[in-house]
Amino acid sequence: MKKGKLWLLLSLLVITAMLLTGCGGGGGEEKKAPEGEKAAEGGDIKIGFLGAKTGGHAAYGVETLKGMQMAAKDINDAGGINGKKIVIVEEDHGSKVSEGTTVTQKLITRDKVVAIVGDPTTGITKAAAPIAQQNKVVLLSAGAVGTGVVEIGDYIFRDTLLDAVAAPAVTKYLGEKLGWKKVAVITSMNNDYSVGLTKLFKEALAANKIEIVAEQSIQDGDQNFAAQVTAIKGKNPDGIIFTGYYTEGGLFMKEARKQGMKAVMVGGDGLLSDVLMKMGAEAVEGSMVYCGFAADEAKAGEKTKKFIEAYKAGNNNVLPDMFSAQGYDAVMLIADAIKAAGSDVPEKFRAELAKTKDWNGVSGTITFQENREPIKSPVFLLEVKEGKFAVKDTVEVK
Amino acid sequence: MDASMLSQQILNGITLGATYALIALGYTMVYGIIQLINFAHGEIYMVGAFVGVLMVTVFQQGLLFSLAAAMLACMVMGVTIERIAYRPLRRSTRLAPLISAIGVSIFLQTLMTKIKGPQPVAFPQVINDALYKIGPVEISKVQILILIVASLLMATLHFIVKYVKIGKAMRAASEDYDTAALMGINVNRVISFTFAIGSALAAAGGVLVGLYFNSVSPFMGVSAGLKAFCAAVLGGIGSIPGAMLGGIFLGVAETLGIAGGFDMYKDAIAFTLLIIVLLFRPTGLLGRPIQRKV
Repeated sequence: MKKGKLWLLLSLLVITAMLLTGCGGGGGEEKKAPEGEKAAEGGDIKIGFLGAKTGGHAAYGVETLKGMQMAAKDINDAGGINGKKIVIVEEDHGSKVSEGTTVTQKLITRDKVVAIVGDPTTGITKAAAPIAQQNKVVLLSAGAVGTGVVEIGDYIFRDTLLDAVAAPAVTKYLGEKLGWKKVAVITSMNNDYSVGLTKLFKEALAANKIEIVAEQSIQDGDQNFAAQVTAIKGKNPDGIIFTGYYTEGGLFMKEARKQGMKAVMVGGDGLLSDVLMKMGAEAVEGSMVYCGFAADEAKAGEKTKKFIEAYKAGNNNVLPDMFSAQGYDAVMLIADAIKAAGSDVPEKFRAELAKTKDWNGVSGTITFQENREPIKSPVFLLEVKEGKFAVKDTVEVK
Repeated sequence: MDASMLSQQILNGITLGATYALIALGYTMVYGIIQLINFAHGEIYMVGAFVGVLMVTVFQQGLLFSLAAAMLACMVMGVTIERIAYRPLRRSTRLAPLISAIGVSIFLQTLMTKIKGPQPVAFPQVINDALYKIGPVEISKVQILILIVASLLMATLHFIVKYVKIGKAMRAASEDYDTAALMGINVNRVISFTFAIGSALAAAGGVLVGLYFNSVSPFMGVSAGLKAFCAAVLGGIGSIPGAMLGGIFLGVAETLGIAGGFDMYKDAIAFTLLIIVLLFRPTGLLGRPIQRKV
């Protein structure tokens, strides 16, 4: 008897809970749907933001969105495109891949956006891109740098600095401007990014006649680099090409200085984090990192300077980062394509977007190649100075 | 690899091995007495390293004080863990305390992740490192420190076990637990003492490794614990000199493996060595032959 009652109570509870949540969800959808339709009638051009406002990648998403909103404001203040206003539709996928695809679906079917900017990460971009491609909506990632993104279809674009573009440019700079003749190459073998970047650097080093005098491998999560440093130290390289991430990079340089090595480290944006200085302290002074954009008011051009000032004014004097600049450029690229096509139908302006050549944005000059992969110039080479990243030089890509 | 680099790598290996040995001693002593593989031992080493960081950063203490504080804190922790997680299970099947040990290990890892986050924390620079050239090799101040502290601790342990009354009681209990109890030895106290000493050594290892590798993380105990366990078995589990030898042996083998380009397999090196040694010497390098009790 007693057991039976308990079961009854439990099932009642479960049913009530299901009813309650069901109602809540349904109500929310009902309220939102008409709003979306109305906006479409009003004749605005809707661009969706695919990214995270919460969770692990929130920093990328929030910055991308800030850039997008600034671009929308600039366009609308100047009278819009072909008489229509740009509206940014925001969503938050909480840094989850599964939510990323749901958000993409929502943006396309419910909000009827003509283009999506995002996701800042390669992983979620690759999950969302097939949906955009299928529905013939333009997707422009302002952050994805991994492989296999634009290959998904002809509606998929990105405006990021690719390692395949940056590594050769930086290598050339090391040889010509810094006079490096021999380097040591360090790869983190359980990190796909690092293995891929090492391959690019090796090709570039060979092309620039810089000799690889030592090659060592590490693993992400390693703490002991004594053996690797001892192995490269005897070869006296002019510099260390380190293709892994910041934690290991900092610790590796610490060990190198401990063993008396003077050479500095060069790496990709995998090293671009304050953790590098936390782990490496003075051992990473002089280390060089390349990336797609860094705010440097002294060296910036007219357009970029204006962007930096506007960003600072709205963000308590904080400088914009790569994501906000690329987010800004993403919206501008789409707007210019729509203007050129004279239509905000994705089928029409997609072709104009693909024709983008020597386009001048705040994060640099962008050209889409035949396969829609971007060539971006310049590459920003940063250097650690007194515990902070500072722009050392900008390297033009030809 | 030329001779000077080889000797340099061997020195790197010995330094690493000395830290393995410090952890391995704790495994071997506990196993010698209650036949328990204390899987939480690697976590004690990790907590020791974090106590070291805390002492240096928050309390602004020097290295030696921090080392002593970490050892003391872990002594208390080791004894408490034994009291709570192992002693109630002393008379149950041998699997029960083993599972309990794994539980303690996971608990401590998760707790530390909760407190400090999963990212590695930089170990503050407490001593100004310098390099000294001795013959073909260069040795850093930190390396010298590790070798000296480890040797001192191991010598002290040897002295205690060999000549001090409680050490003799430890040996008696490891020889035959029940008979030792019948002879009037308070075995519970002996076991507590064993845990205290083992944990203190692990904590010292943790602080030294933090100093040497410049970073500590909540998961550093996992691989170090496994390697040290390997070292203990390699040397002959239950044998104190065996643990020292096993640790150094493993450290050198691993370092030479990495230097030879087998970084991917550095964990495999330890276990392959273990298998090979056990095939030829089932009781380890310095282990006693198996005694059959009639």
